[in-house]
Amino acid sequence: MVHRSYDAIVIGAGHNGLCTAAYLARAGLKTAIVERRHEEGGGVNTEEPLRPGFRFNLHAQFMEFFDIMPMIQDFDLESLGLRTIVPEAQAGIAFADGRPPVILHRPDLLDRTHASIARYSRSDADTYVDLKRRAQAIQQMLAVGLYNPPTAQGDATQAMILESVFGDIGITSHFATKSPKVVIDELFETDELRALLYRCCVEFGFPVDQTGTGAGFLTFVMWTMANWKLVLGGTHTLAKAMTQACYREGVELIENNSVSGIIIEDGRAVGVHTRTGDIRATKCVASNANVQQTLLDLVGEENLSELWIKRAKAFRSGPSHVLGTPMFCLHDAPDYRSAAHDPEINRTFYTLVGYESARECIDYIRDAYMGRMPSPGAGLWVNSLWDRSQAPPGHHSATGWYFLPPASDLSAEEWAHVRATFNDRFLARWREAAPNMTPGNVIEHRVHTPDLMERKNMILEGDFSNGEFSPDQMGINRPFPEASQYRAEIDGLYFCGPSSYPGGGVHSACGYNAYKTIAEDLGLPSPVVSSRGY
Amino acid sequence: MREACDVVIIGAGHNGLTLGAYLARSGLDVIVLERRHEEGGGLCTEELTQAGFLHNVHANYHTFVDMAPPVHDLEVRSHGIEYVRPEVQMASIYDDGTALTVHADIDKTVESMARFSEVDAQTFRRLYDEAHGFVDLLLGTLMYQPPMSVKELTRALAQFGVEDRSEFLGVKLRRETINEFLDQHFTNDKIKAHLAFHASVCSYTTDVKGLAIGFPLLVGKINNWHLCVGGSHRLAHALWRDLAQHGGVMISDADVSTIMVESGRAVGVTLSSGEQITARKAVVSTVDVEQTFLRFLNKDAVDVELREKVENKIAHKDWTLFSVHAAMNRLPEYEAAEFDPDVNRAWVVNLGYSSPAELNEDWRLIRAGKVPDPRPNAAVNSLYDPTDAPEGYYTGLLRQFAPFEVNGVGAGEWDNMGRWYGERCLDVWKRYAPNLTEDAYVDWVPFTPLDIERKMPNMVRGDWMMGEISLDNMLDQRPLPELGQYRTPIEGLYMGGSTQHPHGFITFGPGYNALQVMAEDLNIDPWWRQI
Amino acid sequence: MADVYTPEWYDLVKEAINNRVAGMDGLPPETLHIAVDIEGDGVSPYVDEASSRHFLIRIAKGACEWYREVDEAAQSTDEIKLDYRFVGPASEFDAVVGGVIDPIDAALGGVIKVRGDMRFLMRQAEHVQVLLDAYTHGVQTDWPKGEPPYA
Repeated sequence: MVHRSYDAIVIGAGHNGLCTAAYLARAGLKTAIVERRHEEGGGVNTEEPLRPGFRFNLHAQFMEFFDIMPMIQDFDLESLGLRTIVPEAQAGIAFADGRPPVILHRPDLLDRTHASIARYSRSDADTYVDLKRRAQAIQQMLAVGLYNPPTAQGDATQAMILESVFGDIGITSHFATKSPKVVIDELFETDELRALLYRCCVEFGFPVDQTGTGAGFLTFVMWTMANWKLVLGGTHTLAKAMTQACYREGVELIENNSVSGIIIEDGRAVGVHTRTGDIRATKCVASNANVQQTLLDLVGEENLSELWIKRAKAFRSGPSHVLGTPMFCLHDAPDYRSAAHDPEINRTFYTLVGYESARECIDYIRDAYMGRMPSPGAGLWVNSLWDRSQAPPGHHSATGWYFLPPASDLSAEEWAHVRATFNDRFLARWREAAPNMTPGNVIEHRVHTPDLMERKNMILEGDFSNGEFSPDQMGINRPFPEASQYRAEIDGLYFCGPSSYPGGGVHSACGYNAYKTIAEDLGLPSPVVSSRGY
Repeated sequence: MREACDVVIIGAGHNGLTLGAYLARSGLDVIVLERRHEEGGGLCTEELTQAGFLHNVHANYHTFVDMAPPVHDLEVRSHGIEYVRPEVQMASIYDDGTALTVHADIDKTVESMARFSEVDAQTFRRLYDEAHGFVDLLLGTLMYQPPMSVKELTRALAQFGVEDRSEFLGVKLRRETINEFLDQHFTNDKIKAHLAFHASVCSYTTDVKGLAIGFPLLVGKINNWHLCVGGSHRLAHALWRDLAQHGGVMISDADVSTIMVESGRAVGVTLSSGEQITARKAVVSTVDVEQTFLRFLNKDAVDVELREKVENKIAHKDWTLFSVHAAMNRLPEYEAAEFDPDVNRAWVVNLGYSSPAELNEDWRLIRAGKVPDPRPNAAVNSLYDPTDAPEGYYTGLLRQFAPFEVNGVGAGEWDNMGRWYGERCLDVWKRYAPNLTEDAYVDWVPFTPLDIERKMPNMVRGDWMMGEISLDNMLDQRPLPELGQYRTPIEGLYMGGSTQHPHGFITFGPGYNALQVMAEDLNIDPWWRQI
Repeated sequence: MADVYTPEWYDLVKEAINNRVAGMDGLPPETLHIAVDIEGDGVSPYVDEASSRHFLIRIAKGACEWYREVDEAAQSTDEIKLDYRFVGPASEFDAVVGGVIDPIDAALGGVIKVRGDMRFLMRQAEHVQVLLDAYTHGVQTDWPKGEPPYA
């Protein structure tokens, strides 16, 4: 039953909003989520916009946090339909000249990874496997870091972790000040592996040339790398399970109803203006929207201090981590030239195509960051290789990510041109690496560009991190120091979206941590489970 | 996933969800399994063209709103759903530039008809008033209860002397086509064309003997067409929410491969992923008869005779729909607005059928596998739902009656001709609304009869009613006499989808009626029957 | 002769029903409960405007076991499960009793609403006809405050 008053209102039914709402409702608050779209899940969306039966994840792709995600455990999402597969070969790079691929496997199959890298360099193989094992071992520590509000000691802790985990192999605290590219180049000599790692790093959201994120690469990126799950049916199944958990807790999901403002009375957030009228919130309003949208568009400058206005305006989305999602309806899955050396590249979860060298990969990334259209290259998924539900029988669905300039760097006409041409350019490149990717093998295709992501999901600039990952917007500085604890300067207003710590990514940690803060303020039960430790 | 429950329902279309929600509210542990990644079946709204344009891929017209018991029992309207009943419901635009408009306000409809024929307008008024009087009785008798036989109905109608009391209702309807009914009561071709068009959009083919039986009900709800704000899929969410809030679970991406049968009793299902779910009380299939009996059930579980009937005797519609989904930057401005300005506000517009004969000719062509010169109908939901497109833009839908198999080549031909036929449909739209030039479209995509079957395999051959609408396939004969009462020869296995009486469309009828039968068999207190 | 809607009157209706069904074949074996809600419409002088009169009838094996007026609109209880309800404006009910309009017409015209299992009603058409006939023509009714149609 839709009411005009609730204890708590959550703006936006992305995974973080669903997470906050579920915990609030379980704590006994009468809770509603107001969602602009007709579908829940935000960037956790799977659609079949092309030929029926071909499913594509338009935004979030592989899932790296499920093993540690509290909501999956606390609301038994598996019993509500969430099922996953972990492909053996996880990340790989294929080449047009048919060189051997480099393939990284899931953590229990590192001997195979070693063999793959060792084709090029035994020393790199040793280093990678060693680093990966060390990073795996600190999973619990990283999970505790993710699922708690950021602290001022964050940087020092990072340096300490580096020192204690990698210090004996010469990776000491000063690595924290390096850029990921410098770290990768220093640790690995193989050009092919470097290309793969650059791309995996930027995929996680860390700009590869950004100094000060070197520690993050060694810990978070190395831990999550090749630790990826495929959600059966598409990533949207996670949103379905989370929504169903919310329904069962009594959360009202008010969809297709945009919030046009947050009602502020006597300096307190007391509800939202919506398309169908005002809805009051007696205890709190939590916003899954970006901090800029929340403060500048929904709260309004008249209700903010000068400092907060300045901070909100200064928050940056992009240029790193802006992606476009191509979609291909295929007859056959790609058959790579590189498969002659290692057929596993044809069954690798995430495959890079279009980079013959580390140089090409870094140029490609830098082009996109500088607002230039890069030469075509992509990381690709053919999920139907493992999940037959994602394509009709005898067919395959392929999707991927292109790094592209931020939405506002190109005009509407230019984006239309990208949509009309870029896939064809990429396909020509793809065909060089996988000769069977002929026009006849591609039934239909389309690319979902950053400007459309902004329109569909209000993801500013199409930035997958929802606010650039750079030291001034990370940790205790995210989205800005005064707002880092999920509280706004307005009483009763909280941030639960990915512009807060830790940022974009399907971990729902922003939503979980926001609940912790709200729980503290309202005297609600803590969600911490002692056996979990966070 | 959970391994056992009381009732497993196959298919999360509106019937499966409705039945599931009632059973969950009755205290049963229910799991509804859906093959697709989205619940809702025909309640399917997708951004097929571009972000922000909500296209109703199947169901667009909700004509049983507030008439179907589940809407009340499951408090559907309380689940955040918004319905709009457009003021100008439908229109027909004719080649001579005239137009007829059907309004929510029946006086205005009669006025519009009177411009073509005063006597027909009065006849329509009497027909509407009469039908409106007995619409509740008809719904209660013909839609929302397990079906009686035509024989029983005929006997009762005779006993009550209905024929003598009604100008339009009588036992003879079961021997007539809608065309014959129209010829008996109306004189003007254009008025007849509109009423025939309206019946056709509701899937009552105008030249099929016996379908006159449904005509009075069609007229009784001719102005009850509702649009679901934010797309038809929102109704699916409302039903899913009701299910979940009462303890039921919907699992998407759950492709059933087998209905497990032990000692002649359905005891659960196996998914193609290998998972098994035990059903302690019942298994309900809401999908097509073919999948249920030929795919899900092992050969030895189905009687040979029944199997043969399912293979050979299931009747499907002999026409289907070709659609164009359009993202537009302007609303159509019809030339016929000079004759009747309300056409520009009409939700659903018939473009070009000016006489029943033209429809008859198209039925003939379509049955011969020919693709007719388009006379599509156009619906612009954004006229009444501004949320279905970005600001300043509009979402359009063209629908054209079409064959499933084309030119003796087969349905595969649609992949080659989808865009071509779509362009022809758009050309026709432009003929009536000249401002719809090429640059009016941000994007558009065809959605062919083959696409219907691909997206919804239970709509076999693009049959969006999930079974032919004909007297032989109605009431207790639908889909086969031995399955006509929602029970199957396999104990504990029920049929609750649109293969059953009454039929497809967003009626809630099959699910609701299956519930009545299950309540009897499972001793469920029928709390919903509020007398 | 009895005044309309008095206990004497509905006793007579009951008697009329039972006389008619006596000896009929194929009577439904079920026990049925029928609620009747007659809504004041400002036209009928027998039911105050903005109020209603409520009746509850039990039919067992085709015969009327009892026929009584109740204070509130009858609802299903553990003992009495309602099977049917007839609702409509008082003047219409009066007109049916007075033989001015036919009850089937009233139902078809939607002026008197019928709720309940229509399938059973249709299957028992013959019996239903008998009950209706008893209601409309079985009793000589007195109309102390005037007879329909009131206009």
